[in-house]
Amino acid sequence: MVLVQRMKQSKDPFEAALEESPGDSPDELEIETQPQTGTAAGSATAAVTGELEDEFDNLESQAPMSVSAGPAAKMTMSKNKDEYDEEDDENVDVELGKFPSSSDPAKMAKMQAILNQFTEDQMNRYESFRRSALQKSNMRRLLVSITGSQKISLPMTIVVCGIAKMFVGELVETARMVMTERNESGPIRPCHIREAYRRLKLEGKVPKRSVPRLFR
Amino acid sequence: MSNPSAGQSSKSKAGSSQPCETTSFKRKRGVFQKDLQHMMYGFGDDPNPLPETVALVEDIVVEYVSDLAHKAQDLGSKRGKLSVEDFLYLIRKDPPKLNRCTELLSMQEELKQARKAFEVDEEKLASIE
Repeated sequence: MVLVQRMKQSKDPFEAALEESPGDSPDELEIETQPQTGTAAGSATAAVTGELEDEFDNLESQAPMSVSAGPAAKMTMSKNKDEYDEEDDENVDVELGKFPSSSDPAKMAKMQAILNQFTEDQMNRYESFRRSALQKSNMRRLLVSITGSQKISLPMTIVVCGIAKMFVGELVETARMVMTERNESGPIRPCHIREAYRRLKLEGKVPKRSVPRLFR
Repeated sequence: MSNPSAGQSSKSKAGSSQPCETTSFKRKRGVFQKDLQHMMYGFGDDPNPLPETVALVEDIVVEYVSDLAHKAQDLGSKRGKLSVEDFLYLIRKDPPKLNRCTELLSMQEELKQARKAFEVDEEKLASIE
């Protein structure tokens, strides 16, 4: 069915549904959207699309940019909306900020309060954080090639994409920590990533191969 | 040093112990590159991360996913087939990841239900007309 195919490609069934029938879906699927916080701009459709996407993303970040000790992850598993993001780029700041953080009004209010105080820079970064994701199709291909089995279910792909995204987050954040320790600035360089990777390994966050790789 | 996967064109494990740019495996470079750039910016890097950094992170991530998948497969083979449970078991020690994954899974369920409801409604509309 087209919807299903769309789901696989777009990684966001709401978005797929939206593409199918822009008229109906917004009502149907605006489960938890709330009125704009004032950053709302852009067309209604795009806004809803963004919202729906972000609703899906919403899962992760409760708090902006903090090493994820706390709440369910800074890992926006967000099914990659990058392809759609390019199209909806003008609505960069629209959707964020109206997502129920786990449908908890208190958290929601807190989130809104935080988001309202973001500078444009911060908003951009947050937007990237929420919307970025590894492509499910690529991940699926990778998993198939690793396991040799064609039966990689969609939830599995989603989970692995989420885990990978969080892992990237840990890497980048640790690399930033390394940089501040060395009093360096600017873009992250490979040496920082390597050091970060080494530290993560020491912390045990990287699965070690039980059998050492031969013939390296 | 015969590398069995040398002949394959699919993305095999990076095979890089040091996450350096290895060219011995036939793996398409930059599979996740575009997405990774946005992601790294979101997590704190420059708006335009260095390409070598992105390549390195991609290598690391592919290696991570490969290791994870291998371990999951080992677990799964005991039960018969690979399932999501295996992955969840592997990250049980990591609360943020675990929570995130459970959220994602429940979210996906919700979306599935919503889609179903949506389709049913469409049918109803179609039948009425």
